[in-house]
Order: sequence, then C-alpha cells, then structure tokens
Amino acid sequence: MTTPLSLVPGRCADGRPRLTAAGEIDMSNIGALAQALDDTPGPLVLDLTEVEYLDSAGLSVLFAHADRLELIASPLLTPVLTISGLADLATVHATDDPDAPGGLPGRQ
Amino acid sequence: MARPENAEHEPPAAEELFAADAVVGRDLARVDWAATPLGAPSGWPQSLRTTVSILLSSRFPMWMAWGPDLTFFCNAAYRRDTLGQKYPWALGRPAGEVWAEIWDDIGPRIDTVLRTGEATWDEALLLFLERSGYTEESYHTFSYSPLRDDEGQVVGMLCVVSEDTERVIGERRMATLRDLGSDPSVIRTEQEMLLFAGRQLDRNQSDLPFTLTYLLEDDGTARLAAATGLPGGHPAAPAAVAFEDPDAVWPAAALSRSEATLVRLDGAPFAELPGGAWPEPPTQALVVPLLRQGDTPYGFLVAALNRYRALDDAYRGFIELTAGQLATGIASARSYQAQQRRAEELAELDRAKTAFFSNISHEFRTPLTLIMGPVEELRTRLAPSDEHVREELDVIHRNGLRLGKLVNTLLDFARIEAGRMQARYEPVDLATVTGELASVFRSAIDRAGLDFHVDCAAPDRPVYLDRGMWEKVVLNLLSNALKFTFEGSVRVATGERDGRAVVTITDTGIGVPAAELPRLFERFHRIENARSRSNEGSGIGLALVRELVGLHGGTITADSTEGEGTRFTISLPFGAAHLPPEAVAPHTPAGAVSASADPYLQEALRWLPADPGAAAGADGADGVTQPAGETGAAHVPGPAARARVLVVDDNADMREYLTRILTGAGYEVDAVADGQEALDVLRTNVPDLVVSDVMMPRVDGLQLVAALRADARTAAVPVLLLSARAGQEASIEGLRAGADDYLVKPFAAAELLARVRANVELARLRGHQARWRTALVDSLQEAFFVCDDTGAVIETNTAFTDILGYGPEGLPYAPIHPWWPDADTDHEAHRLVSEAFDRLRTSARGSYTIPVKHRDGHRLWVTATFAQAQDPDSGRAVTVGTFRDVTAEHYAIQRESALAALATVLSRATSLPEALSAALGELRTLWRARCVLAAVFQHGDTPSLTATDASAWQDLTAERRRALTDLREQAQLTPVADHTGAGILLEHPEGPLALWIDLGDDRPFTGEDQLLLSLLSGHLAQGLSRAHQIDQQRETALALQRAILGPSRLPDGFAVRYEPATQPLEVGGDWYDTITLPDGRIGIVVGDCVGRGLEAATVMGQLRSACRALLLQDAGPAQTLMALDHFAAGIPGAPCTTVFCGVLDPGTGRLTYSSAGHPPGIVTHADGTTRLLEDGRSIPLAVRPGTARPEAECLLPARATLLLYTDGLVERRRRPLTAGIGQASEAVQDGRNATVDDLATQVMDRLAPADGYDDDVALLLYRHPAPLEVSFPAESSQLAPVRKALRSWLGQCDLPPGTVQSILVAAGEACANAVEHGHRHAPGEIVRLRAEALVDDLHLTIADTGQWKPPQPELNAHRGRGVALMRALMQHVTITPGPSGTIVDMHMRIA
Repeated sequence: MTTPLSLVPGRCADGRPRLTAAGEIDMSNIGALAQALDDTPGPLVLDLTEVEYLDSAGLSVLFAHADRLELIASPLLTPVLTISGLADLATVHATDDPDAPGGLPGRQ
Repeated sequence: MARPENAEHEPPAAEELFAADAVVGRDLARVDWAATPLGAPSGWPQSLRTTVSILLSSRFPMWMAWGPDLTFFCNAAYRRDTLGQKYPWALGRPAGEVWAEIWDDIGPRIDTVLRTGEATWDEALLLFLERSGYTEESYHTFSYSPLRDDEGQVVGMLCVVSEDTERVIGERRMATLRDLGSDPSVIRTEQEMLLFAGRQLDRNQSDLPFTLTYLLEDDGTARLAAATGLPGGHPAAPAAVAFEDPDAVWPAAALSRSEATLVRLDGAPFAELPGGAWPEPPTQALVVPLLRQGDTPYGFLVAALNRYRALDDAYRGFIELTAGQLATGIASARSYQAQQRRAEELAELDRAKTAFFSNISHEFRTPLTLIMGPVEELRTRLAPSDEHVREELDVIHRNGLRLGKLVNTLLDFARIEAGRMQARYEPVDLATVTGELASVFRSAIDRAGLDFHVDCAAPDRPVYLDRGMWEKVVLNLLSNALKFTFEGSVRVATGERDGRAVVTITDTGIGVPAAELPRLFERFHRIENARSRSNEGSGIGLALVRELVGLHGGTITADSTEGEGTRFTISLPFGAAHLPPEAVAPHTPAGAVSASADPYLQEALRWLPADPGAAAGADGADGVTQPAGETGAAHVPGPAARARVLVVDDNADMREYLTRILTGAGYEVDAVADGQEALDVLRTNVPDLVVSDVMMPRVDGLQLVAALRADARTAAVPVLLLSARAGQEASIEGLRAGADDYLVKPFAAAELLARVRANVELARLRGHQARWRTALVDSLQEAFFVCDDTGAVIETNTAFTDILGYGPEGLPYAPIHPWWPDADTDHEAHRLVSEAFDRLRTSARGSYTIPVKHRDGHRLWVTATFAQAQDPDSGRAVTVGTFRDVTAEHYAIQRESALAALATVLSRATSLPEALSAALGELRTLWRARCVLAAVFQHGDTPSLTATDASAWQDLTAERRRALTDLREQAQLTPVADHTGAGILLEHPEGPLALWIDLGDDRPFTGEDQLLLSLLSGHLAQGLSRAHQIDQQRETALALQRAILGPSRLPDGFAVRYEPATQPLEVGGDWYDTITLPDGRIGIVVGDCVGRGLEAATVMGQLRSACRALLLQDAGPAQTLMALDHFAAGIPGAPCTTVFCGVLDPGTGRLTYSSAGHPPGIVTHADGTTRLLEDGRSIPLAVRPGTARPEAECLLPARATLLLYTDGLVERRRRPLTAGIGQASEAVQDGRNATVDDLATQVMDRLAPADGYDDDVALLLYRHPAPLEVSFPAESSQLAPVRKALRSWLGQCDLPPGTVQSILVAAGEACANAVEHGHRHAPGEIVRLRAEALVDDLHLTIADTGQWKPPQPELNAHRGRGVALMRALMQHVTITPGPSGTIVDMHMRIA
C-alpha cells in the first residue's frame, strides 16, 4: 500500500502555478511527487501545509527542483527543511506567513 | 559378591543385612523387628542398613540406637566388652530399657546428640552397669555421634566406646600400694607403722570401704591394732577376737591355714556399716593373713569389699599385696625393736665373756705349756732333718705363742680385776727400757715401709716400773700403731712434763673418729669398719694397757685426727710414793727383752706382705689362717634364707676352701676360675654376692667389678674382693673399682663369714627397695622405660614388652629404636617420632603422641610422657618415661574428625558429582594419597571415572583398570589393600562404585586405615544417596516450579523476580502472574501463601491457576478475589493468602485493582513522586468468604513505574513496613534510566539484607507505556503503517509534537534505509523496530538482516542526507553493520 498523498495542482492568487500536497511523503510515493513537479514547469509554489511527514526521499525530489520552488510548510516540517539545507536553496514560507503566496479561494 | 540390579529398590534379606557378623548377626536376624518401630528389615532405609553393616563389621566396641524408640543394636566387640549378660536380650529393645540403670547419665547426652546433631565425648566416665548380675562400677571413654536417615534428619546415634574400668581401678589400687610403700624410713615402731598404713588405706575407700588390722598376741587372741573407715566401737570391730572361738566376728582360726577367707557381712554385727566411698555398705569382706616368713602370721587384715566390683584375681591380688605391705611393715618395726634388744643383750654378754675367759684362762696355761715345751724341743731336734716338718712345727709354735699371749692377757685382766696382780715395781731408766722395747718392732715397721723414730730422752729421776707390765704396754701400743698405719711413720718418745714422766707413741695412721675416742679404751670395743692391716684382735689390748698404766699410778690418753694419725700419751709419776710399799723393789740389772715380746712381734709380722725370708711367710698355702674352732658355722648365725654366693678364684685350693666355709655357713655356692667365667654365669643367674680374688688371668677382679657395675642388671650385686696385697693403694683401687668390701689375705674364716653376711644383708636391704621398685614398675599398666644419655633404652617393664613386643632380653635398645616406623616406607610417621625423640633429649619433661611399630609390625599410637632424672648410682643423666597405648583413642578421634570432615564436604555439595568429587578430595587429604579414583559401573564395561587428578578411564593403566573392575567382585564396604594403596566397593546411586586410594609409595595401609576406610565409605555411600535424592528432588522441584511459578513469556514492559527462601528449592509460597486477556488488557497478580517450601508452593500453584482462570473469564479484580475466597477456603494451607489482583489497559495505562490484605503497590511517576495503591484493600483470602471486596482504579501516567511485591521484599524485623516501602520507592526512582529488567535487578539487590532474603520474595515491575515492538517486511509500502504505530506509541509517551516528529523522521530514515539498502536484492525480509521509553530517555532500535552500503553522497545524495538527518534529529545514533544484519540504535533525552 502506498502512503496516502494527494497532489492538487492550482494557481496562486497572483497566477503562479501552485501544487498543494496533503498526507505523508516517503520513498513509497516520491514518484508521484516527482511526476507532479515535472508536469509543472517554471516557478512553482509548493504548499506542504497539510503534509505530516517528509523524509529524505521526499527532500531529494524537492532538491532537484529547488531553484524554481517556493515552499509553504507547517512548523512540523521546518526542522527537516532547515537541517537538510533545502531552506537555503528554496524560499520557505511558514503556513501563517502573511507574505506567503495565497491560494485561490475554492481551488484548494 | 554379585550385586543384583536395582539393589537400591530391593533391600537384601535380613540374613544378608546382618551377615557381617556370624553370631551377633544371627541374633539380630532373630529379633522380631516387625514388633519394633523400625518394622521389618526389608523396609529399612539405606542409611540404617549401611550403619548396621558398618557396626557389625567393626572390631571396635560400638552400639547404636535408631528410630523413635532408639532401638538398640550392637556389635560383637561391644557384646564382649560391655553388654555382658544383657546379650542377646538387649537387641532390638529401646535403648532406654537396655541401659535403664545409667539412663540418667547417658540419656541427656543422647538427647543432646539428637537435638543438635553434634557428637559428644566423655573420658573415663563412671557408670554403674548391671551387665554381670550385679551393679558394677565401670568407666568408659565414649563418643556419641548422630546418625541420619536418608533425608538427613538425625534419627539415632552411634556410640563408639572403649572401656577404661581396668585402667582406672588399676591406677587407683596402684596408688594405694605405692603410698603404702613410700618412705618407710621414718617408721620406727609398730604403732607408727600402723598409723601410717592406716592413713594410706583410709584414702582408698573405693576399694577398701573399711579395713581392720588384728595382730596375734602370745595368748592366742587377736587384738585390733588399726581400723579405717569404721568408727571406733562398732560391733564389727571388736577389740579382741579369740583365736579358737568359732562364733567370733572374724574367723581368726582360718589364719592357721594361711588362707584368705571371704566373709558375708550379713549378721548382726554388720548392721549399719558405713559405705566408704559408696552410697551402699559393703556386703562382703576378705580376711587375709599378715604372713610371716616361715612362721605363724602376724595377724590378719579384714578388708571390706567394694560391692560394685567382683572379687576377681586382680582385686584379690590387690588386697593380698596390701596385706603383704602391712606384714612387711610389721616385720620391719619388730626387727628394729629386736635389734635394740640385741644390742643391750650383747653388752651383758661382753661382761659375761670377760668373766668366763678370766675364769678359764688359767686352766689353759698348763696344757699350753705342755704343748709349747715339747714343740720347742722338737724344733730344736728336728730342724735339720726335714724342712717340711720344721715348717709345720713353726705353725704350731707360732699359734701356741699367740694363744699363750691371749691367755696371759686374759689372765692379767682376771688378776687385775681380782686385785691379785703380782707387781714388782723397780726404779728404772724409762728412756732405756722403752727404747729397747721399741727396737724389737723396728724390723716389722721397716718391712711395712714406715719410718720409725725413737726419741728417748732420759728423765733425770727414775721411774718405778714393773718390767713385765711395761713391756705389754709399749708392745701393745706399737702393735696397734703398726696395724693401723699404712704410710708415714711411727714415733716413740720419752720425756718429762709437768713433773711427770711422759711416753708418747705417735703414728700417721688412719686415726680414730672423734665419736669413738671416749670408748677407745673400753674392753672388747672395736672400731667398726676401721681400715687395718688385720682384723685379728680381741679388742682388749688397749683396755689392758690402761689397766696396767693405772696400776703404775699413771694415766693414758689418746689424741687423734681421723686420716692423720693418733698419739697415745702415758703420764707416770716419779718416785714410789704412790705405789704399795710391799711391791716396791730395788733395781735389778736389766736383762734382755723378755720372751713375752716374741708373740707380739710374730703377730705383727704376719700382717705384713710375705717375705721369703720371714717366718711369717710360711703360714698356710694362701696366707689364710684358719684357727681351730672358727671354721664351723656354729658360732656364726646363718643367713635367713639361702643366699647365693659366687666364688671367683683361680686357685683351686682357695676355691675349695672358700666353698667349704661358705657352704658350711649355709650359703649356696657356685665357684668359677676367673672373671670371664664369672661374667658368663652372671648373665643368666645373678647371685646375692660375688666373692672374688683380685689377681686372676683373663678378666681380673677389678675388671670383673667394672664389668658388673657397667651392666644395669648386675650393677647392684655386691662384690667382696680378696687380695694378698695389703696396703692402702690396693684397697683403694678395689673400692674405687666399685667393690663393696675388700679383704686382705690372710684372713680368718670368721672374718670372711662376717663380711659375707654383712654384705648379703646390706644387699638384701637394698634389694628390698630395688625389688619393690621393680614390682612397682612392672605393675604399671603403662610401658615404662629409662633412656641413658645417648638415648639408648636401658630399662623397661613388663607392660613395655606387652605394648611394644620388645622384651628386656634385647636391652639396651640404641637409637634408632627398633619400634620407630620405617624411614623409607613410612616417612611421615618416622619424622614425627624423630622430632619427638629430639624433644625428649632436649627438654626437661614433656608429653607427646607418636606412632610406633610393634615388634610384629602393627602400628600403635602411644602417648609418651618423660622427665629428665639423674641416676643416683652413676650420677648420669637419664630420661625416665612411659608410653601409654592410645591407639584406640587416637583412631577414635581420627575417625570422628574424618567423619566430620567428610560430612561437611558432603553437606556443602549441591549435586551428586560435586559430592563425590569433594569426598574424593577429602579422602586424598586424609591419607595424603597421590590420587583417589572412583569408578561407577553403570552399564557396559566402561565405568564413569571420577579422579582427584582429573584423569579419565582411558588414562589409567590396564592394571589399575583391572583392579578397579575386580573390586566389583568384593563384598561391599570391605577394604582390599596392597602395597600401593587400598580399594573398596560401595553403593553409588547409579551403580556399584569401586574406590581406589593410590598411596603412591610403599606405605602400609593398616588395619585401622581399613576400618576407617570402610566407615568413611559407608558414610560416603549414604551421602551420595542423599545427594542423589536431593538432586532428584531439585529436578522435580525445578520442573514443578517452571510449571507453576509464572508465565513463560511476559508481556512487554514487565519485569519480574522471584527469590525463594528455601534453598536449593527454587519454589515457595509467593508468586506473580500476568495474563494477557482476550481484549488486549493484562491481568496482573502478585500473591503470598502462608508457609514456605514445597508445601506452600503446592497451594500457590492451585491459587495461581484458579486466579488465572477467573481473570480469563473476564471477571474484574474484586470479583476474582471474591471467587478465590471460596476456592481458598477449600484448600488446606490456602486461607490467609494475600493477593494483589489488577487488570491493566496497556494502551491507556488504566489499572483496575483489588487487594486481599496485600502490601500496597507503588507507582513512581516520571517526576519522581510516588503514590501507593492503597485503595481497594480488604482482608486476606478465605478469612470471610462471601464478603464483598472493593475495587479501585488508577491511571498510570506516561513513564510511570508500577512496583508490586510480596512482603519478603520490604519486611524486616524491628523495622516498620513503611521504611521498606520507602526504600523500595527510592530504588525505583534511582533506576529511572534503567530498563525495566535492569531496574528489577537493582531493586532486588538494593533491598536484599546482608545475608540474603530470609523469606520468599516475588517482585513485579511495569513501566508505562510498554515498549513498542514492530516487525515488518522490508517493503516501502510498510513504512506508513509502521509510522502510524510509532506515532500512536509516542502519543502514549506524552511527548511534545516536535519531538515526536523528529523521532518519526529519524525512525523513518532508518526504516527506509533498511528497505532500500538492506534488502534491495531480497525484498520482503523482516525489519524489526523497537522503541522503549525510560523515564528520561527514549531508545529506538531498527534491525534488519541485510548489509548497508557505505553512504555515497555523490551517487545518491538524498540517502546520505537520511543518515545526516538521523544524526541531526536524535541525540545519539549508532549504526552497527554486521554479517547478519545492520542495527541502528538511537537515543533521545525526553525529560
């Protein structure tokens, strides 16, 4: 059984492409995450607010796209993003960050 | 002996059991055992059978008691020595009945043995036995040792006993005899002697409750002379007993037959007799005569008899010796009195003798003249014809002169006494007259080698002298001087002093003792033992001189210093005024010295050494004078008993002459020709006296004396030397050589006989002491010996021969003595004796116990006691000592200690092999053996071998293997010995055991060793049997325990401990239990049954099972306990059990519980606070069945620890329970960072008393939450479910979300690695994750069965990132790769 993960593509209020993930990301489902990222070229806002678990397998996918990603993550994931150094390469917004790119209403 | 299989289960028939002794065994087999508490022998335990077998096969006196009635057994030796007439009645009876009469003495000792299991030891204890038909005084040295049954309980006792009665009583009697014989010198009168003897007899009222000494009077009555133990005036002690009176209290008439008579003390006179040393009065008395040598007895001794001893030979002998001592004492006292009387009679006799001789002397003169006249004529006429005839005539002439002189002297006395002395005093020149007389003696004095000075100054006035009388005065004095002077000079001087004429005759002779001086001039007084040239002499010479000087109105005095000389001074008045006028005559011309001088000179010359030219030299063949009338024995009293005299002389005539004289005097005479022959005779037969010539071929007289004195057996024999050599040097030489007396030839027969008699009597007197000493020494029961200063044994007694086998014929025994153990074959024993011998020679006194070897080779142990002394005869240092045979005691003690040592090692052993191994070690030490082997033959021919040197059966020589195998053919417990050691067969629970003690050298394995080996083997067999039973019991118990103690697998999070109080069983009345219920909750039970050991464990098992069943039926804790109340009420031993019963939800930590009187559980929170589970409490089980029980609830917070226990953990004497509970709480708090299992160990250790738990302890710990354990296939799809489980468990641990997330990621990385790397080629292998929360710390372990690759970031950057993440998120990460898999260990502080 694959770890439950939903990936919903959308747009930000400013029109940038946005991918909203929910669930847990581990080696069993990083293929789906990589595919979703590959499907969306260019700058991308990845909303990880609803992700409860992210390990190094998921991080490795994100590192591959780090230069075009803007991340929104809950405090739960902050240590992992910081320790791994991803936060240094990609912009990371806290969930309650007023500067975080907001999503379109009803598109989540 | 072929051993039936399973002998253990098929006891031998009674006959076989008792087969070790044919006689006692047969009688034991006849006992109706079924009627005794022991039952039929077929049902007897192994221990009893073994003990009986040892008992019967032992040669030491033993008895034993077994079972509730202390049923009596004994062996043949005991029957013989002690049991007496009680045999065989005693066999199988209660010991208290057998020894009813001494039960007050021995009962408490036996009780002690049975109660404490410790052996007793009594030495020479007085016991009144009734074994010979009367109450008997007896002494015993014995030890009671406990006997144990197969379970190790003391159920009886074994007594090894040696009887000391003979020794104790013998020593007591010996002391009395010794005291009686002590110091008789102070005793002078009969009364003194009787008082002394009475005091000694009175001190032994054990053997002599009372004594009466009657002495016969001349009138035929016996008068009471002394009494002991009986008050004066008692009817049994009449003052006099008529000899002929048939109704007398004591049978005096029996004395005429010189026999002892036994008298029963049952008549009227014997009422109310005192008992002496005993509670009851005597019933018999022995009347023994006080024997007098060759005459009617002096009287008789009445000796009351000890009623507790039979009148056996020893007792009778003691009383007869006592009577003999009394008789000797009476004889001595009477003899002393007789001597006193005789001295008075002799004085009277002297006076009579003078009168007699005076009267008859006159009558002798005529016949003498008629003899001398013709002899003179014959000498003149026959002188030229025949020299032989001439010589014989000279003898007649000379003795005629002597007789004439004697007669004349006596006649002079008679005349003087009668006042009829016809004197004719004429004025003379004293110097001239005296000088002429002196010159007559010059030749004799010259020949004696003395200087002779005559210094006669003439006084200016004449002195009136009777010439004839004056000759006698001067010649007597000169003769006297010559006789007693051996060197120096004789001086004659005349002069004037104080108006009187003075004549002095001075010699340098032996002198006169000061005490004798006053009596010097007494008639017939002779100085005894004075050394002189001759013992001839009547003792009247000086007396006559004084009388004659007195007739001249003068005085004579003597001054003398002993050893320097004597001076006689005669003082005479001048003039004639003092003389009767009719006797004064005018001066006549001086003629030659009268013929009366001739006899004096002739006599004096014969004292001197023979000179061929001198007439004296031709007097008898060997210079022996034998005056007629002195040869017969008639005048010389013969010896009291025929004394034996050995005559040694090389001259056959002299030998015959001496033999004739001595035989005639009543002596028994042996005659030999020289000293060598004498020594040969003396070695076999020691005479009372040796009379020996000095000059002899081969061994001369002096050498003979020296040889006799050098030999202890003949040192005391008196020797009388005969020599022709006069002169002081010769006699001194003889006396210095050790001769007792010295007689110079010629000597008179009477002189010889007097000397012989004196010496024999002296020797007899000495001999009495010596014989008494010999009898005393010989009567000692201990071996007596005397060592000289070289260590050689020079004297022994009879007991010495009895004990060691070496008799007096081998004396002296030089060291190394033949009874020393052999240095080569028995080095250790030899060393002991050698050391003891060194001490003997260097210490003043001492005592030691050593092994020695009897002449027949058997080993003895003796206690040697010795003291240094000085031989009063030789002055040499000697060692006097005794050996007491302590073999029996020694071996008894050795047996006791060996048995105790064996018992100790056997009791320490916790298993059968350990017991056997320890016992072999003990045997090896005991015998200092090279090795001890034990082969147990189970099945087949290869036995299992246990050896002290750890060798295996294959290592043994073929010879040794065969010897061990052959031992199986021997009877059990019967030792076999050869020169290398000894073996024995005994029972081992797994089969026959052949035991071999390899001594390793040629050391004797004695009979005692064999006895000890069989005893020890018997005990060993029992010990092994016991160890085997304990092994079996323990195995059973362990199996039982495993079955009933607790769950084989505990749920996670729990730890338990169990410590039983009763070792070696590992079960008891306490228990714990956990039951996983169908809904996932866990039932927890801790309980404590009353009691300990197997019994309590049985109850516990039932309660545990019941409780488990009730919980599984989904009953709540209170409900379960109420049901248990009813259950326990029906089980003996179950009521009052305390139980804690709870049900835990491991997910939530909710605990529902109820307690039946159990100590409260303790909950220790993560913050260190504690809480006692004191709710839900009620009374212990089955106290009030049916009463409702409360139930309580408690929520165990995260990382709280629950401690349940039984009271053994916390309950201590003199300490409140709360103290123990507090201590337990602290232990739990301090163990917050330990795993729950380690914590359990810590708590047990910390609360254990110094000497271990003395009560059962059960302990149960639970820490919430229980650790998480997850196993999953190595597939990525498993990661999410594992994560879910871990997240849920972490939730129970009550941790902040960030911490939870870190742990989740770190664990996830480790799991992902395990999936990705460990199992990339074998998907589906199992990965295990374990998470455990301690109070302040959290542990994670992820283990797989694959191998990780080292991180290779350049190839796979994110994997390397995974390990980095783990290290960043957790506090401590360890990755341990191994051939069988990789383990990741991670810790995080969570406090």
